[in-house]
Amino acid sequence: MVEQKLLKKESETEYERSSREKRNFLSKIFNWIITHIKFLLIPGYISDDLMHRQTEYEKTKSQRKFITRFKSVLTIVGLILMFIIISFAIFAPWLSPYSRFWLTFPQYGGWQPPSPEHLLGTAQDGFDILGRMIWGARTSLTVALPALFLAVAGGCVIGIVGAYYGGIIDTILMRIVDIMLSFPSIVLILVFIAIWGREMRYFILAYGILGMAGYARIIRGSVLQAKNLPYVDAARVSGASNFRIMFKHILPNVIQPVIVTFTFDIGGIILSFAGLSFLGFAQSGIIEWGYDLDKARGSFRTAPWAMIFPGLMIMITVLAFMLVGDGLRDALDPRLKNL
Amino acid sequence: MSSMLKYILKRILQSIPVLFGVLTLVFILTKFFPYNPAIAYLPQSFSEEDLRQMERFLGLDQPLVIQYLDYLTDLFTGDWGKSLQILEGADVWPLVMQKFPRTIEITILSMIIASIVGIKFGVISSKHRNKTKDTVVRGFALLGVSIPVFWLGMLLQYFFSYLLMKAGLPYLPYQGFATSWYPKLEPITGFRLIDSLISGKFAYFTDYLLHLILPVLALSFITLASITRQTRSSMLEVLQQDYVRTARAKGCKEKDVIHTHALKNALIPTVTIIGLNIGSLLTGAVLTETTFNLDGMGQLMITAINRYDYYVLNACVFLVALVFVSANLIMDILYAYLDPRIKY
Repeated sequence: MVEQKLLKKESETEYERSSREKRNFLSKIFNWIITHIKFLLIPGYISDDLMHRQTEYEKTKSQRKFITRFKSVLTIVGLILMFIIISFAIFAPWLSPYSRFWLTFPQYGGWQPPSPEHLLGTAQDGFDILGRMIWGARTSLTVALPALFLAVAGGCVIGIVGAYYGGIIDTILMRIVDIMLSFPSIVLILVFIAIWGREMRYFILAYGILGMAGYARIIRGSVLQAKNLPYVDAARVSGASNFRIMFKHILPNVIQPVIVTFTFDIGGIILSFAGLSFLGFAQSGIIEWGYDLDKARGSFRTAPWAMIFPGLMIMITVLAFMLVGDGLRDALDPRLKNL
Repeated sequence: MSSMLKYILKRILQSIPVLFGVLTLVFILTKFFPYNPAIAYLPQSFSEEDLRQMERFLGLDQPLVIQYLDYLTDLFTGDWGKSLQILEGADVWPLVMQKFPRTIEITILSMIIASIVGIKFGVISSKHRNKTKDTVVRGFALLGVSIPVFWLGMLLQYFFSYLLMKAGLPYLPYQGFATSWYPKLEPITGFRLIDSLISGKFAYFTDYLLHLILPVLALSFITLASITRQTRSSMLEVLQQDYVRTARAKGCKEKDVIHTHALKNALIPTVTIIGLNIGSLLTGAVLTETTFNLDGMGQLMITAINRYDYYVLNACVFLVALVFVSANLIMDILYAYLDPRIKY
C-alpha cells in the first residue's frame, strides 16, 4: 500500500517535472547555467579525466544525431546547388538579365557567341542563353514539384488502403500498379500527352498519375510490416477509426523511405521532362532546357554554346537533387550507406 | 533441374497477365485519342454517310468488348492493320519489323557494355575503398546518373566527330546507321551487324560498327553508373562477411577471393539493377535515336503519336511491352540461377 502510494507520487512528480521541462525551454537553459556555472567560471575545476569522459560521451552522442550523419561534403555541395537552383526558380525575374518577354519574343541575331551584352551568347531567335537558363529552373520545378506532390498523395492513399484492408482491394490495386510499373513510363506519358494535349498541366497530371504506382509499392511494403505492430492494436483498442489508424498512426511511421525517393524523383522528373521537350513534345514557346537543346541541335556545330549551357544546367540540377537524396538516405537509413 | 524448369514455367505464366494488362491499358488509352481512324481512310471530302460506312467496315461501331476481342485476335494473328499517316496504306508489320531490330541492336549492345564495364568499375572501386581510384569511379558514377543522355550524345558528336573533322583527324560518323552513299544491304534478320556478318561483307560490318560507337557509348553511360554504384555497394557488404575472411585465411589469392568467392554473391543485386534498368535503356534509346538520327522504333513511335497513327502506335507499344516483360523474365531466371537460395 505504502509502496504503491510512493510509486504513484514519484511518477507524478516525474511527469510534472518532464512536462515543466518541455514547457519552458528557457528555464532549462537557465538551470543548466546555474548548475554548470562553476565549470564555466573557475578554470580547471573539472578534472581532466572527467573532461575526457565527457568528450567521449559527447562524441558518441553526436554520431547518432541526424544532422551529423546528414552533413558530408557531397551533401553540402548538393544542398548549395539545390539552393541556387531554387533561388533561380523563385527570383527568376530579378536574376535574369532579360525579361520574360525578350526571352520568348523572336528577334534578330540568333546563334551569336558570348559577348558583354549576352554573357553566354544567344540561342535561336536571339534569345539570351543565360536568361533562359535561369527561367528554365522555374519551368522544371513547376512541373516536377506539383507532379510529385500528386504522386506522393495518391501513392500513399493507394498503398495504405491496399495494404491495410488486404484481400481483393489489395490484389486489384497492386495488379494495376504492376501493370503501370511493367512499362517504360515514357511511352505511357507520350500516350497521355497524345490524348490530352501538350500543355504543362497535362504533363504534371501524367507524371503525377504514373508516379503514384512507385510510391504505392514503397508504402505498401512498409505498411504490411507496420500494421501488425502493437501501436496499431493500441490505437484500435482505444477506439480509433480505420481512417484515423491509417493516416494518423501508420502514415507518419512509414513516410521515411518516401522522403528519400521524393528527392531522387525531383531530379528524375526534371531529366525526363527535359527529354520529352527535347523530343519536341513540349508546348511551343516554353522556356525549358530540353527545348533549348532541341532547337540547338540543328546548329550546334557553329554555336556550341547554345548546346553546352542548357545541358550543363540540367546536369547540375539533377546532380544537386541526387546528392541531397544520397545524403538523406545515408542519414535516415545508415544500412544503405555504401550505395 | 526439374524444379528450375518448373520455376521458369511458373514465371512465364505469371508474366502473361501483366502483358494482357498492358494490352488492355493501351487499348483503353487509344480509345481516348482525339482522332477518328476512319477519317484517314476516306478521301479529302466525305459525307457523314461515308464516315459511318467506313466505321462499320473497320468495326468501330461495335461494342467495346467486341472491339477489344478483335484487337487481341488481330494482334496475335499478325494482322496489325495498315498505317494511316506515316506510310499511307502500308502494312504495319513490315514497317515495324524494319525498325524494331535497330533499336534492339543499340539497346542490347549498350546493356552488355554497361554491364561488363560497370561490374569491373564497381569491383575496382570496392577494392580500393576511399582511395583515389574509388573517388574517381564514384564521381564518374554520380555524373552518369545525372547527365541527360541526349546532351551527352550531342557532346560526343561535337567532340569526337565535328572537332576531329575540323582538325583534319580521322573522325567518327556523327549520325545515321550507315554511310549514306553505300548501296543498301538486303536485310536477312534485320539486325544489321548480324546481316553483314552472315553475308560476309566486312566493309559493311565495320561501317555499321563505326556508326554505332557514339550512340552506344552515350546510351551505356547512364546504365553504367547505376550498375557501378550497385556493384560497389554489394561488394563492400560481401567483402566484410565471414566466408571471405575464411577464404583469405586458408590462403586464397586476393584475385581469387574477389572474383570467385565475393563477386558471385555480390552480383545478385546487380542483376536486379540491370533488369530494372531496361526501362530507362529503352527510354534512353528513344532519345539517342533522335540525337543521332537513327531511324528506329523510337522515331517511329514519336511520329505515330504526333500524327495519331493509331495502328503503328499500337504495334510499337505492344513490342516495347513484349521486350520489357521478356527482359524482366530473363533477369528473374538469371537471378534464380545465380542465387541457389531462391525458392523455386
